[in-house]
Amino acid sequence: MTGALGPLSRLVGLRFGTFSTRIALLYAGLFAVVLGLVVSLAAGGLSRFGEASAGRDLEANARVFDEILAARARQMGDQAGVLAHDFGFREAVATADAPTIASALASLQERVRSDMAFVLTLEGEVLAADANGFPSPETLWARLDEGGTHGIIASHQGLALAAAAPIKAPDLIGWLVIAQPLDRAELDRLVELAPIALEAQVVESSTQPEWLRGAAVNAAFEREIEGERFLYHVSDLAVLQDGIVPRLVLRHGLAESLAAYASLRWWLTMLAVGGIVLVLGLSWKVARSVTEPLQQLDEATRLIGAGREVILKVETGDEIGRLAESFNQMVAAIKERERQIIHVGLHDGLTGLPNRQLFTEQLANVLTRRRDAEQVMVAYVDLDDFKMVNDTLGHPAGDALLRMVAEHLKEDLPDALIARLGGDEFAVLIDGIDEKASLGNLADRLQACFNRPLTINGQAASSSASIGIAMAPGDGEDGITLMKNADLALYRAKHEGKSTYHFFEPALDEAARQRRQLELDLRTAIKNGGFELNFQPLYSLAEKRLTGFEALIRWNHPTRGQINPVEFIPLAEETGLIVPIGEWVLREACHQASSWPADVSVAVNVSPKQFAATGIASTVLSALAASRLAPHRLELEITESIFIADVEQTLATLHSLRNLGVKIALDDFGTGYSSLSYLRSFPFDKVKIDKSFVEDLGTSDNGHAVIRAITTLAAALGMETLAEGVEDIAQYEVLEREGCQNIQGYLFSRPVEADAVAGLLRHGAGYQRQLRA
Amino acid sequence: MYRSPFSALAAILAAAPFAWATGGVDAIAAAATPPALRVQVVDGAGLPVRDAVVELHATSPSAGPIRFPWKMGMAQKNQQFTPGTLIVARGSTVAFPNLDTVRHSIYSFSKPARFSIELYGRDQTRTHTFTMAGSVKLGCNIHDQMRGYIRVTDTPFAGKTDHNGYITLTGMAGGAARLTVWHPGLRTPGNESVSAITITGGQQSHKLRVALR
Repeated sequence: MTGALGPLSRLVGLRFGTFSTRIALLYAGLFAVVLGLVVSLAAGGLSRFGEASAGRDLEANARVFDEILAARARQMGDQAGVLAHDFGFREAVATADAPTIASALASLQERVRSDMAFVLTLEGEVLAADANGFPSPETLWARLDEGGTHGIIASHQGLALAAAAPIKAPDLIGWLVIAQPLDRAELDRLVELAPIALEAQVVESSTQPEWLRGAAVNAAFEREIEGERFLYHVSDLAVLQDGIVPRLVLRHGLAESLAAYASLRWWLTMLAVGGIVLVLGLSWKVARSVTEPLQQLDEATRLIGAGREVILKVETGDEIGRLAESFNQMVAAIKERERQIIHVGLHDGLTGLPNRQLFTEQLANVLTRRRDAEQVMVAYVDLDDFKMVNDTLGHPAGDALLRMVAEHLKEDLPDALIARLGGDEFAVLIDGIDEKASLGNLADRLQACFNRPLTINGQAASSSASIGIAMAPGDGEDGITLMKNADLALYRAKHEGKSTYHFFEPALDEAARQRRQLELDLRTAIKNGGFELNFQPLYSLAEKRLTGFEALIRWNHPTRGQINPVEFIPLAEETGLIVPIGEWVLREACHQASSWPADVSVAVNVSPKQFAATGIASTVLSALAASRLAPHRLELEITESIFIADVEQTLATLHSLRNLGVKIALDDFGTGYSSLSYLRSFPFDKVKIDKSFVEDLGTSDNGHAVIRAITTLAAALGMETLAEGVEDIAQYEVLEREGCQNIQGYLFSRPVEADAVAGLLRHGAGYQRQLRA
Repeated sequence: MYRSPFSALAAILAAAPFAWATGGVDAIAAAATPPALRVQVVDGAGLPVRDAVVELHATSPSAGPIRFPWKMGMAQKNQQFTPGTLIVARGSTVAFPNLDTVRHSIYSFSKPARFSIELYGRDQTRTHTFTMAGSVKLGCNIHDQMRGYIRVTDTPFAGKTDHNGYITLTGMAGGAARLTVWHPGLRTPGNESVSAITITGGQQSHKLRVALR
């Protein structure tokens, strides 16, 4: 789980690492967009405002210029009017007194600082000091006749502002016109009055470029000239002369007026940049305040994943604080569950006692803490006949018994660590035992725990236990050794009889070592073919001949020589090696028997373990097929102990074997859990009477009766009988007399090697030869 | 601009008796068919022009002094010259009675009679004798709006148009003649227009179209 969380937390950590940056960037980006819009709008607005206000200024200036020109013209008109009204002047004009007029005009020019003055009579005559340079009378006449009092005229000095006053005597006889050229200096004086910097020009429209000539009048417009932006304003001026279109052209450099706004725009941009930086910083800080707890959470998660204890500090009452609180609660809940899981993992579910693992750990702890003068006792306890309780009273009763025993142990040995190792096996650990203390008493006290009366299902019951004890430091200083030795001692105690205890002694260890060695050798023998078969003849009393041989395994150990089957068969049974060994025996026996005469059969022992193993029938079939031995010539010898296991299954297996056509004999009849019901449940071909009954024939009187009972019973059930271990003629005679049909024993022959079988068949065996003789 | 309401008033004052007289002559002429010239003066728009002086000059000058049936006087009343237009025969002396409460002066820059009369008061009269034929424009030096026109003529066949622009001249001999129209607003040199006409005798109508400013 931590392994799975590791990369996940790293992944989350990586993503969170950029989270604050992302938030900061997002907000700054949004702000930048908005600010950018605002600034660009404002800048655009400023530019437009600047342009518009410059345009308005221009228009206003144009109007002011008009006003000023009109005022100037009026003033000039007034000045002209004064002369035009003068009686003498009027008389001079009416009487065409040219010299008087010329002098009067010169005087007027002097007085009003006008550059031009002349009289235009109603008849179209121009009267002036110097008539040159004035516009032709025809172009002026119409305007004046219509009542025009002032306007622009074109003189030899350029465009000029002119004003006219009628001369009446008393009827209109002409006009007095005075004019002032609108030259540079004059316009510059006007420009000085303007609030904005501009250039003014009064020009004749027809001399202007097309774009200016065609421009809309009385409206400001923009024009770029040589890369510079200018605002233009064009207005028509009143004229006093036909055929001219004088215009006032005002020009204003936009760069100048926009320069003021440029600095404002610069400040605005700076403000925006500053704002963005501020927002970036602030949003990063805000994001940090969110992501920092997340990073702490991430770190805490990783530490917890690594098995460290972490408690987050709850600093605030907000969502983050609640998250930290929830996280702490979750961590606590996980720890509690972990504790429970560990408890379940280290304790036995039925009794609540520690299990083997916890016992082993505790033992290791105790051993490391052990002081020199102290001893530690490890006792392995196995309940006697527990299986019987389970079988007879049922598993719930067995469980109840185990719980009660556990309770008793806890009550009676409060200072001891008691564990259930499994099944009916318990372990007891007692530490701090003084080295001079009596271990015997301690063992007795332990034993006494099991002598307490028990009640199961309302019935009184008794229990006893076998106990194996190992002491530290004497029997080992580490837990593994101590537990092994205690187990060996228990093994010995079981073998010595029940309800007893046994202290470990080194010999037990040696025996165990030898057993292990033997097992290894056995495996080697199976692999390398270290076994061979001997055959002991079976003599038929009815046919007076050898009708078969029992195959018996022999192990020729490479270093120890011949090893008694009694020594290694139980070990093979215990370790399960009996299955391959039994298979080999079966095949070898069939192989050998196939070379014998057809009326000679072979008997093979099948161990209960081998019998219970799956596939015994196919193993037999395969052995028969390989040797081409007729099935009826193979006799399988089984013991009653096969019935201890599942009876139904056993019977099914027996029937399947019988269906193959092989014979089945019941071996060692009369020993163990002999029961007549077995005989009734399956029609054995042969019953082998145990040699103990044959031995009895010489010593007890009722031996005859037993033999007779068996033979009678077998005959009644249609089974043959065979007596084992027949060693002398007296036994032979009794068995013959009591109806036993077959004999096996030293009287005829010991087991012989395979190649001796033919000789026995040819020449007879032992007593058979005497019988023939 | 030259047909002010004052001149209209003056015309009524001056023309009324003449109109009556002409009416009488008309009736007689119709019966005996004496030569009569009925002239209508209209402006460019066809509207009648009032107070235009129409003169018929016969090729043979008439003998004897010329007498017109109106007074040879130009009064100053309500700061107006009354009548605004006066036709006098050459050599006539015209009186200028001041009927106003204010003082007036009289000047003329016109070629036929250049003169200047200093300011004179109420109930005083000045006179001037016009020895040359032509038109004389009178002004008052202190009242610019005052206008007075005196037409000095050599022919007895002269008269002012009425408010309908009509004038009927009678008593002239038949034959070729010059017809002169004068009006201060006429857009011609000298404010007059001359055309040739033949007097056939009997009733004769003539319509003159003039340009006024």
